Amino acid sequence: MILFINFLTIQTSAAIISFIAGAIVVLVVIYLFYSSSPAEDKVSAKHKVYKMRARYFFALVFCVIAGLIITLGFLPYPQFQSRPDETVSVVGMQWAWKFAPGISDKTPLQMEGGSEITLPSNKLIKFLVTSSDVNHDFAIYNTNGVLVAQTQAMPDYQNALEYKFPEPGDYHILCLEYCGIAHAIMVGTIHVK
Amino acid sequence: MLQISPVEIKRQRKLVIIWSITFMVVFPLLIILGLLMRLNQGEDINLGADTFYTLMTLHGLGMAGLLFTFSFAGLWYLVGTRQAKLNISVGYFVYTLVLIGVIGLAIATLIGKFGPGWYMLYPLPFIGVNWPAWSTGLAIVSLIIMGVAWLSGIIHLVSAMSKEFGGFSNLMGWQYLRKRKEGERDLPPIVMITTISLVPGLCAFLIGAAMLFMYLMQLLEPALHFNPLLMKNMVMFFGHTLVNITLYCCVGWVYALLPEYTGREWKTDKVLVYSWNATFIFILFAYFHHLYMDFAQPSAFQYIGQIVSYSSAIPATAITMFGVISQIYHSKIKWGVIPVCFLIGVAGWAIGGFSAVVDSTIAVNSVLHNTLWVPAHFHTYMLGGVVLFILGLIFYLSHTKEEQEKDKTAKFGFWLFVISIHCFIGMFYSGGLNSIPRRYADYKGIPIVSVHHTGALLAEIAALFIILLLIGLFIMYFAIIIKLSKQKNASLIKSV
Repeated sequence: MILFINFLTIQTSAAIISFIAGAIVVLVVIYLFYSSSPAEDKVSAKHKVYKMRARYFFALVFCVIAGLIITLGFLPYPQFQSRPDETVSVVGMQWAWKFAPGISDKTPLQMEGGSEITLPSNKLIKFLVTSSDVNHDFAIYNTNGVLVAQTQAMPDYQNALEYKFPEPGDYHILCLEYCGIAHAIMVGTIHVK
Repeated sequence: MLQISPVEIKRQRKLVIIWSITFMVVFPLLIILGLLMRLNQGEDINLGADTFYTLMTLHGLGMAGLLFTFSFAGLWYLVGTRQAKLNISVGYFVYTLVLIGVIGLAIATLIGKFGPGWYMLYPLPFIGVNWPAWSTGLAIVSLIIMGVAWLSGIIHLVSAMSKEFGGFSNLMGWQYLRKRKEGERDLPPIVMITTISLVPGLCAFLIGAAMLFMYLMQLLEPALHFNPLLMKNMVMFFGHTLVNITLYCCVGWVYALLPEYTGREWKTDKVLVYSWNATFIFILFAYFHHLYMDFAQPSAFQYIGQIVSYSSAIPATAITMFGVISQIYHSKIKWGVIPVCFLIGVAGWAIGGFSAVVDSTIAVNSVLHNTLWVPAHFHTYMLGGVVLFILGLIFYLSHTKEEQEKDKTAKFGFWLFVISIHCFIGMFYSGGLNSIPRRYADYKGIPIVSVHHTGALLAEIAALFIILLLIGLFIMYFAIIIKLSKQKNASLIKSV
């Protein structure tokens, strides 16, 4: 599993798995076009298909259980988080991000901060994310432009997101929840040293 | 035994033809909105962000509403002409109210510039918006009108079936789980599927109605404040269920109509009942997967979201899709355009369903949520699934069994449409895998050059495939209109 994750991003893994699944569906459809004749009586054809269905059913149940066991161990939620090295308060607002080091004791509207912040690499950072108006989504893009982590910025709630920046460089924050007319230009930058 | 008179069948047919023509007019118009959006993202035209989001809202509301309404209308027709007596006046009442709602939404968006997206996340329609309050009010009232239409239609349809089949528990197929009485009437799968699709729909519309009234109260009294997480749960329950049951309603047609082409009955049995009753539960609880990135949501709901989403693949594939295989395998079916629509529609459902399951994995959702992967998967099973089922039903209305086998124009249009659909959707998948955000008017403001350029390029390519799929669609329309007008002329001659 660790080997798998090291070589493939989640996006690449999703692409490979989905491509294989899509190809299987296409092959089944082609097979069905060609296997529709010759004619066979319904009972005998049904028997053959149902025999295969039983096998498929058990294989699928196994895959579903295995998939759940494997993937439910990698959750971004607070109970899976550890002790952070640094904490950053984040407020999403129409249409900018505000960052402030530490835990803010101000309301989201009153909190002061800029849309850029400098943070260390290889340290576990906890982002305490909220919003002063509507729903936003705090999405971290790495130096290669790949989305690596996100959480919603919601009014009245604070979502804690942990991330360790693996290498120095400029990481960009985009808003991934539609929040009004200037949604597409709501950006922030994290300079990682 | 139920007797439905030829006059009643004729009336129901007229209603479904009216629905079909409405669909055929509105559907390409909504596609053109999508085309304009992709051209704007591809930087080929400049709509401005306000117009873009207005079009995005109309495209989303229009498509979700149109596809659900037609899937409901199709079920109404098939049930009303075969399984239960339905009051045609209720059918026209639904049609009229939906039409009024659609006109209201068109005015709110195209004139009032209402643009919070088709599922509007509270408190967005009320804070920092660039459209007037009247357009928000009109949109909410229009949606309430459509909700009233759908609720009335569903209640009438389910109660008529309940009267015909001896109670609600029989509609759910529970009589198959005990020893059946001798001579007990068989339950046609379409009746069970209609119930299992529309009862969660009833719950969704009631929750949706409550939410819309809360929105209306907020509009009238700005000092009010509702819990945003509760509102998000309500809107997602409503939106997810609406889209989900749209698909299941259409699957009901496949159970009813595919046997006419394979010559093999598709009967209800114990396995089918267990499978669809499980689907009933899955429809109600899968929506939690839309809130994975709300870390404040109780964790139990997040687990339920993933477990239910994964589990929903079991009845869908092992029962329904294998049911389709068992219908077709060695059946000597003649591949006219109607069974092809159904088979390729099921394939679109399978592919879109799989990519939905991928995204319903919490760990994966962390990097795919609200990227273009999301429109990719729902376009796959809506455009590549639901729309093909709808076209299959429209061909069923316009073509005889022999005509649909021979109609080369229809087949050519169909394959052009299908191939273009999947190429168009492929650009969405590619965008998701390249971390391109969804719901961006354009990508010019993104400071990451690769994301900006890839997003714009994929949008441009997608626009080309939209044009091709429109051509395919119009070729199919041509084939349909020719046959429908021939039928009309024939019936006119007969009446003279």
